[in-house]
Amino acid sequence: MKVGLFIPCYVDALYPQVGVATLKVLRHLGVDVTYPKGQTCCGQPMANGGFESKAVPLAEKMENLFAGYDYVVTPSVSCTAFVRHHYPNLLKDSHTCELASKCMELVEFLHDVVKPDGPLGSFPHKVSIHNSCHGVRELGLSSPSEEMVAPFNKIRDLLQLKKGIEISEPERKDECCGFGGLFCVEESAVSSRMGLDKVRRHIATGAEYITGADCSCLMHQSSIAKKNGLQIQFMHVAEILAAGL
Amino acid sequence: MSNKDDILGRIRSGIRERYDMPSLGDLQATVYDEPLAAFKASSEATGSKVVELAPETDIDKAIRDLFPDAGVIASNLPEVHIATLNPDTVGSAQELNGTDVGVIRGSFGVAENGCIWIPQSMKEKAVCFISENLVILLPKAAIVNNMHEAYRQIDLGEYGYGTFISGPSKTADIAQTLVMGAQAARSVTVLLV
Amino acid sequence: MSKHSKKAKGFLKDARYSEWHDATFWAVREKRDGMAHGLPEWERLREKASKIKLHTLSHLDQYLEQFASQAEKNGAIVHWAADAEDFNNIVFGILSEHGVKKIVKSKSMLTEECGMNPFLESKGIEVVETDLGERIIQLLGQAPSHIVMPAVHLTPDQVGELFEAEGISNEPGNHDPTYLTYRARLSLRKEFLTAGAGMTGANFGIAATGDIVVCTNEGNADMSTSCPKLHIAALGLEKVIPDYDSLAVFQRLLCRSATGQPTTTYTSHFRTARPGAAPMHIILVDNGRSEWIANPEHWQTLKCIRCGSCMNTCPVYRRSGGYSYSYFIPGPVGVNLGMLRNAKAHSGNVSACTLCLSCQSVCPVKINLGEQIYQWRQQLPAFGTAPLGKRTLCEGMSMVYDHPLLYKTATGVIKKPFHSLKLDKDE
Repeated sequence: MKVGLFIPCYVDALYPQVGVATLKVLRHLGVDVTYPKGQTCCGQPMANGGFESKAVPLAEKMENLFAGYDYVVTPSVSCTAFVRHHYPNLLKDSHTCELASKCMELVEFLHDVVKPDGPLGSFPHKVSIHNSCHGVRELGLSSPSEEMVAPFNKIRDLLQLKKGIEISEPERKDECCGFGGLFCVEESAVSSRMGLDKVRRHIATGAEYITGADCSCLMHQSSIAKKNGLQIQFMHVAEILAAGL
Repeated sequence: MSNKDDILGRIRSGIRERYDMPSLGDLQATVYDEPLAAFKASSEATGSKVVELAPETDIDKAIRDLFPDAGVIASNLPEVHIATLNPDTVGSAQELNGTDVGVIRGSFGVAENGCIWIPQSMKEKAVCFISENLVILLPKAAIVNNMHEAYRQIDLGEYGYGTFISGPSKTADIAQTLVMGAQAARSVTVLLV
Repeated sequence: MSKHSKKAKGFLKDARYSEWHDATFWAVREKRDGMAHGLPEWERLREKASKIKLHTLSHLDQYLEQFASQAEKNGAIVHWAADAEDFNNIVFGILSEHGVKKIVKSKSMLTEECGMNPFLESKGIEVVETDLGERIIQLLGQAPSHIVMPAVHLTPDQVGELFEAEGISNEPGNHDPTYLTYRARLSLRKEFLTAGAGMTGANFGIAATGDIVVCTNEGNADMSTSCPKLHIAALGLEKVIPDYDSLAVFQRLLCRSATGQPTTTYTSHFRTARPGAAPMHIILVDNGRSEWIANPEHWQTLKCIRCGSCMNTCPVYRRSGGYSYSYFIPGPVGVNLGMLRNAKAHSGNVSACTLCLSCQSVCPVKINLGEQIYQWRQQLPAFGTAPLGKRTLCEGMSMVYDHPLLYKTATGVIKKPFHSLKLDKDE
């Protein structure tokens, strides 16, 4: 099983430590993973903003870069959702599309493919899970609160492998944090209010850390927390899983 | 061309794919071990008062006990002798305004939501809504589980009108505060007979 | 900034009110969740409802003909209105024919859509809304801020002062909702007794029987049609469904989704006029719908049964209020309906979405509301309504990301991007 690591643009630039942690966890679990050079962006920001055509060349580049891998794994929920749900349409005229079916977000890849069952080091802290919208409603990382299905949460399942961890979820467990890509620029007032509401609900759980599978949601909330002087730390799930390995 | 032909023509040319009607046989809708108990609970949740009458109970007495001060009682039911107005014989629906208690008959109740099917069986259906208090006589054996069963047996009767009623008229339009008694009956009492 | 975002910013300035607004609608969402959890068949119901709508809309020509011919057999007079103007004229024509000077009506988003009230008023007809919320905003000269709870944006004090000014209440300072509701009851009762016609919308038209089905909690549709000698019912073409078996599915979903009740208090079936009254008039209104059916990306918006649950769950609606949207129906379905109605005029609403997709997960008929908003965004350049700044930004991003060297230079100013790190195994 040959796995390609996809590090999205903003993780590359702003959260390199999340990339490092992802690599560390995958290697610790014996996954044959490599990082092909020349990666930039999957095209999601432009497409969600209404400029899908600008994403087409980037989708073609991604397809070429990851040809020959069995899986492409990335520590980003929204990029995975975009590749999975939009690439087939973006590439329909120009290119075969394999990425849509082989791109997996880190949590789902670990949970559904690698299936680690032993302990994975310790993390003796209280964390509050941020269930990113695209993780919940597009990738199925957890049961959507709107739907009447048996409850599950793959992030929680993985975090439970850490010894000493205490896991909670905020009230309104999967309400959007208000990032939304260009939404946070275009609708800054609503976006900030949503972020503030979200961070406060995470803090109300008594957690030391807010964790989640998507850096963009965490980035948005951490900047809101900072602006409003709210004391809580942020860690991507990959970083928690990699801690102490 | 008429509007009708224009509209239907545009629809026909706009439809690209015709989808099949799904089968509804596999819905596995909720049924209850004790439909009557479920009906009582859901009725009460909608704000109704449910009273189970002992066999042979005098309906007049039951109504009088419930509403000792009622002046105007409207009904066309043969078992209600204390009615002072009859919705079959009033000159106009407006004459029913001021009714303290309206007494009507329901055909069956629905366990899942407390609905009672009321086919119009009087000339002026206003009695079902205009009365301050509504009393519905309902045979306690006539309870169905859910709306699927209910819709298999409704009959609008000769007047071509029927309604499911569950509880008193209500509104939450002012600041989301629930208030019973908006435009129609302010209380509903279900007499199970 | 989009039109919506400017208004939303204003809405959020009042922190206490906007928090109340968010909490109020979230509570409705939670009540809906409670109802849905009470039915193990909930997801099956949604799936069936979605499929029945797909079937019905894609056979709408047949069902409309069946509905109309059944209704006519029942003795009703069926009219076909091409657009809003046509509709208003038909209504006025019927009222004139019967010499009606005052009508009482139940809530109808369709009459709102067609601007019927101001039209009739300009012709000298008095129109009295009888849903309490609608009556309140009618007296204030406002539009609804929510399709199910049209006056929810007002406080009891505002309603109380209105009722004092209108002479509806007679205890100055008593702004208790129970008292105010009672005073409105007394005032509306007079209107029911003296109106010349009653008008209702329709939640459903049943093709198999010709029934008009109207769901209310207040009983005002029934009051509106029990005293006057004339009943006019108006329904959008998409309200017609096949039969009672289908209706059972929608009836179970509608109120649970809308307000979190297991049913509305009244689910009323109108088939023929009551004894001694004029024949019932049924007006089927197109007003764009027959064209929307041909829209390959957006025709499914017509599945909507107007429950409002997408508004209640929308984190943006809850924090921006109904008046931040330029179309009279707000929230996710309103963004989509507004774009179908007039894309140029309502493009300013498509920014009001984080693409969180909660709307399409609550929607009882499974309209892909969020995905459609994504699609509308793609079409803004064609309407000439794409924001210029956003366009420049996206073009810039595309260029940088398309060229790894440019990207490297751009991210080079950042201390240590991941791609510059030394990894044991990379290609």
